[in-house]
Amino acid sequence: MREILWLLKNYYHVLLFILLEVLALSLLSRHNAYQHSKLVNLNREIAGTLYKNIEGAREYLYLRKNNEILVKENTRLRNRISEIENQHPATSPTFQKKGSYLYTTARVVHSTHFKQYNYITIDKGRKHGIRRDMAVIGEEGIVGIVLESSANFSTVLPVINRDFRLSVRLKNNNYVGIILWDGQSPEFAILNEIPQHAEISGGDTIITSGYSAIFPEGRFVGTIEEFEMQEGNFYRIKVELGTNFFSLFYVNVISNFNQQEQHEIESRLEQ
Amino acid sequence: MIRIATRNIVRFFILVLFQVLVMDNIQLGGYLNPYFYILFILLLPFETPRWVLLVGGFMLGLSIDLFTNTLGMHTAATVLIAFIRPWILKTFAPRDGYEPETFPRIYYYGFNWFAIYTLILTFIHHMALFYIEVFNFQDFLSTFLRVVLSTVLTSATIILSQYFIFRK
Repeated sequence: MREILWLLKNYYHVLLFILLEVLALSLLSRHNAYQHSKLVNLNREIAGTLYKNIEGAREYLYLRKNNEILVKENTRLRNRISEIENQHPATSPTFQKKGSYLYTTARVVHSTHFKQYNYITIDKGRKHGIRRDMAVIGEEGIVGIVLESSANFSTVLPVINRDFRLSVRLKNNNYVGIILWDGQSPEFAILNEIPQHAEISGGDTIITSGYSAIFPEGRFVGTIEEFEMQEGNFYRIKVELGTNFFSLFYVNVISNFNQQEQHEIESRLEQ
Repeated sequence: MIRIATRNIVRFFILVLFQVLVMDNIQLGGYLNPYFYILFILLLPFETPRWVLLVGGFMLGLSIDLFTNTLGMHTAATVLIAFIRPWILKTFAPRDGYEPETFPRIYYYGFNWFAIYTLILTFIHHMALFYIEVFNFQDFLSTFLRVVLSTVLTSATIILSQYFIFRK
């Protein structure tokens, strides 16, 4: 008995070390799924507020560039309005389909670029109707998917996170593949599962497929930078992402009103 | 005693804020990330009980993790160096041991001693951190390059800080 006490007294720190490491690693594994703990939500609010103030100062440095982007967007939207007006909106089926999406503008308050698992924090949360699994796009292409929201802030899983997967297709010939990130450069992603009998060439446009019910169909993702044959039947394609994650200040969050319905039908079919 | 405790607690908060607001924005080409915050573990007094070291390391890593959305990663790495620190100190102790009322700093034990102490602990921390982050050994070399370069950068900032901020 005395020896056990002696052991405990002299080696308790080894036990404590093992305990704390197990605790840390269990946090790690839970994080790889979805984080749900109140702790994370509380901290998103604190960290979000802090980052928001800092970001406010940093934004001044990029005013000129942002102005240019806004001007471009204005032009594009004006064109779009006139296009729709020409089409008699009430009777046009494509217009009704697009109408089932709601856009919310949000500001990026924090983002990382050079980690393996990058995240973006935006300043809109549950109060503004932001929920998990909503799509996030920028002016120049898709950005990511909402991972979790608290009252005023949300965490976005961007394309440049190794957990990211999205079904996309080639604009030219409709072959569908999966886009993911290999953790190398924040400017490029990898497109898999395009069969080798598909004809592709550098510069081909890649857009969202709409299969996931998260992203509307036909959103710009990026262009083919280079590709190579690999073993098996698929290409390995390197995609230059449309979105520049370094100068991302404003994003649009898209809520899909039909998402629930699409999920229900899909799960009924699986049964 | 209380003065030393307060000083360390204040340092804890300053280092966490400094890390998430300043250091996390310094990333050169994806290879260099300085993790300056481990200075907290390095500067704790020699007599710090082991459980304080471990719990302190846990809290420190967790605070960083909460800000960077990496729950568990920094925590695991920081607890590891908190656990190893006593052995490193023992291995590199001067012949007469550490004198009372001194701290692990350049001011008391010189540049060489502090540089070795910093380099070893930083290297262990970064090894753990970067390999947990990628979670495979496929890109062993490219990850190792990141570990080595970041170790140099972190150690350099820590050693420089000894001349400018934490002089005594």
